[in-house]
Amino acid sequence: MKRIAAALVLVLAAGCAGAESTGPQLDVGPSDAPVTLRVLAGSELLDLEPVLAEAGEATGVRIRLDPVGTLDGAEAVSSGAAEADHDAIWFSSNRYLALQPGAQARLGTATDIMSSPVVLGLRRSVAERLGWVGRPVTWSEIAAAAGARRFTYGMTDPSASNSGFSAVVAVATALVGAGSALTLEQAQSTVPALRDFFAAQTLAAGSSGFLQESFVRRATGADPGGPVDGLINYESVLLGMNAAGTLPEPLELIRPADGVVTAEYPLTVLAAASPEARDAHRRLVEHLRTPAVQRTIAERTHRQPAVPGVLPASSGTAVELPFPAQADVVDALLTSYFDKLRRPSRTIYVLDTSGSMAGDERIGALQRALAGLAGADPSLTGQFRRFRGREQVTLLPFSTTPESPQTFTVAEENPGPDRQRIADAGAALQPGGETAIYDSLEEAYRIAGEQSAADPDRFTSIVLMTDGENTSGADLESFKAFIGSRAVVPVFCVLFGESNVDEMEEVARLTGGRTFDARTAPLAEVFKEIRGYV
Amino acid sequence: MTAPAGRRSGRRVLSWLLALALLGVIGFVVLRDIGGQEPEPAALTVVTGVIGSEKEAFFADERVRDAFRAHGLELRIDPAGSRQIATTVRLEGYDFAFPSSSPAADKLLAQHPTPRTYAPFSSPMAVATFGPIVELLTQAGVVAPGSTTFDVHRYLELAAAGTRWDQLPGNTTFPARKDVLLSTTAPCQSNSAAMYLGIASYVANADGVVTDRTVAAQVTPTVQPLFRDQGYLPPTTEVLFEDYLSAGMGRVPMAVVYEAQYLAEALSPDPVLPADARLLYPSPTIFSRHTLVPLTPAGDRVGELLTSDPQLATLAAQHGFRPTDPRAFAAAFRDRGLPEPPALVNVVEPPSFDTLEGMLALLGCTP
Repeated sequence: MKRIAAALVLVLAAGCAGAESTGPQLDVGPSDAPVTLRVLAGSELLDLEPVLAEAGEATGVRIRLDPVGTLDGAEAVSSGAAEADHDAIWFSSNRYLALQPGAQARLGTATDIMSSPVVLGLRRSVAERLGWVGRPVTWSEIAAAAGARRFTYGMTDPSASNSGFSAVVAVATALVGAGSALTLEQAQSTVPALRDFFAAQTLAAGSSGFLQESFVRRATGADPGGPVDGLINYESVLLGMNAAGTLPEPLELIRPADGVVTAEYPLTVLAAASPEARDAHRRLVEHLRTPAVQRTIAERTHRQPAVPGVLPASSGTAVELPFPAQADVVDALLTSYFDKLRRPSRTIYVLDTSGSMAGDERIGALQRALAGLAGADPSLTGQFRRFRGREQVTLLPFSTTPESPQTFTVAEENPGPDRQRIADAGAALQPGGETAIYDSLEEAYRIAGEQSAADPDRFTSIVLMTDGENTSGADLESFKAFIGSRAVVPVFCVLFGESNVDEMEEVARLTGGRTFDARTAPLAEVFKEIRGYV
Repeated sequence: MTAPAGRRSGRRVLSWLLALALLGVIGFVVLRDIGGQEPEPAALTVVTGVIGSEKEAFFADERVRDAFRAHGLELRIDPAGSRQIATTVRLEGYDFAFPSSSPAADKLLAQHPTPRTYAPFSSPMAVATFGPIVELLTQAGVVAPGSTTFDVHRYLELAAAGTRWDQLPGNTTFPARKDVLLSTTAPCQSNSAAMYLGIASYVANADGVVTDRTVAAQVTPTVQPLFRDQGYLPPTTEVLFEDYLSAGMGRVPMAVVYEAQYLAEALSPDPVLPADARLLYPSPTIFSRHTLVPLTPAGDRVGELLTSDPQLATLAAQHGFRPTDPRAFAAAFRDRGLPEPPALVNVVEPPSFDTLEGMLALLGCTP
């Protein structure tokens, strides 16, 4: 009898227990399979779809991937939430996860499937201008050029995505480390070379996919702001971008001679998985590690095979930097990155306080979301997505007209009291009146313009949260006319209540931002997710 | 060159079994087609075991499985870390446990008393590395010129000084800004790292096996950085060795592995060892004595067969292990036209399980 053909379903995941989902689910394999392997996975693994569909057929296992960010995933595993509805995890690395208290005991067999180092890709003309083609380049040289603003780059938020996280570890280890894994003191360092390196970052993103899209749109002129010179990402992603042919000029890959951090993609069964799931995991791993499949993975995804001998061995002596093995070291490194090293942010929160926002599930949720960012959220992700040291936060509540803005600058040392002041301002918001979305956005742009003129060196973005249609003042058309002549600040729109989805997507598209859906996920989680982009 | 006898006889067994299997299939089809009932499958006793993961390839080898089937046993194997086997793995339902070291087996024995244990083969700890690294180590006095001996005393001196590769005089081949450190697995999880801890603590203790907590505490400052400074460590020796094989010198310049892992690769029909792969032996080294602890009579039978069946000894040797009978080991290399690995002189005993646990606790491992 013939097998039923592979069913390939892409659905929007409505968020899974204990971890915010970052994208569409992947569901492949025979629909009549006796066992489904439910995998909490890094979103970049969705590119394995054809390989996994075939693997599902070959092994008789249905495979479901639920994409989730690095820290969210680590949190879900160590709290035990992951094992409630998943059998396995598959992230670019288990290194961070393994440091979390209690996480190791929740992991079963882990088998590496493929690998890719995190490297710097630069537009070829820029790499040539810097003299970095055809010779070894070190992180110190890269940091010096970055400090002198000789190039700009984009990378993902290290609390949301492993490529950004690996980059921070690699840079700090190479620039501050003494040849061994970072110590706590080194992780807290703010030596000039580190500040130099991160000063050149002009594009931030909460996910690898958004970073790539933004980079391409900026390169092709589809987004305003002109091209960004480079990207820090997996070698495989950069090679894939070159192969896709969508860039006006190819990226030159700079693999720093003093070392990289490599993702090795261990497919890891959870200790609590059923015997059937464990068996399915074993069969899937065996299949994925057969030489033919390993070659297919290498060809399709540009990642290197994990199984030795599948491809001719690389003669290279690319050095792997030691990855710190203590949770406090990594946490200190991330804290100093966010609060001290990265270019500080300027975020203008345009907040709907119209009459429809009344009630605990509306204004109350907004107040709790702000309080969460101000430090009330003790979770791992909450810890790194709070208002950061040096960040400039403006709250611009609006109803029938924009109200008066309140601006806070969070202190670099001892940021607690400033965060509390933001939470207090949030708690004082009162609902009432109409909804003047575009008048308020235009006001936010004017504020951004003034603030940027006084203090230009910041990531500047606007977060718009509204629960309804525009009922007062300027409309979308006049906003478009307003935007036309201005240096654009990205607007990140939160869909909430009865938001006009089409208009919000149009605003995001016009400004190079994106929308976030708080109709199906808690507002506080969405506010936290946006932090990766600002 | 003639085909190796061991492999040939293995093939012969294999073709016999294939022929038998084929006959079985034909018989089944014929019987089914004439409407007869299905034939009884040969009654095989299913035996389940939990083993150190470095023996997984051996137990997955069809020739090994067939050798057990010839004795009426069908093996089901779960891999696990040896320390896990001795401490956290639930053993009910298993017929035997087969950790990779005698201390772990001793610990098991205390909880599951049995009249006999079996140590059918062993493997010394070794250092898998590369030609250029061997030259650098020779210049640094860690390896005697032309030898395969890795001087642990001298290595610990280099490590204590925080020497980086790019600080070694005359180093133009591997000027990495990275400490000269042996790559290991995580000692909290993996037996190979625990054996390395045994070696390093022996040397740090002025050439004496650590036997009590006081001494363990004294040597901790010397041995702790050997692991800590490496940063994140792979959970199993399989992963470490695979990194060595596929990622090359930059990632894993020298790795503490079981000799058997390297030899199995060298003896395989299509070895994937790097072109300039080299194997060194720490002096002193420790033998990892793979010790089977039977939990049921069926498990006991597995131990007995592994120890007494010459075919299984031959196969173990082909997987790089040193069987109790040294002739099988010698034959595996003779048959492949390879030099037999050296007999090792400077071999010390690992600390007892409880002392080892005490040292691991001092390194921050939780049970």
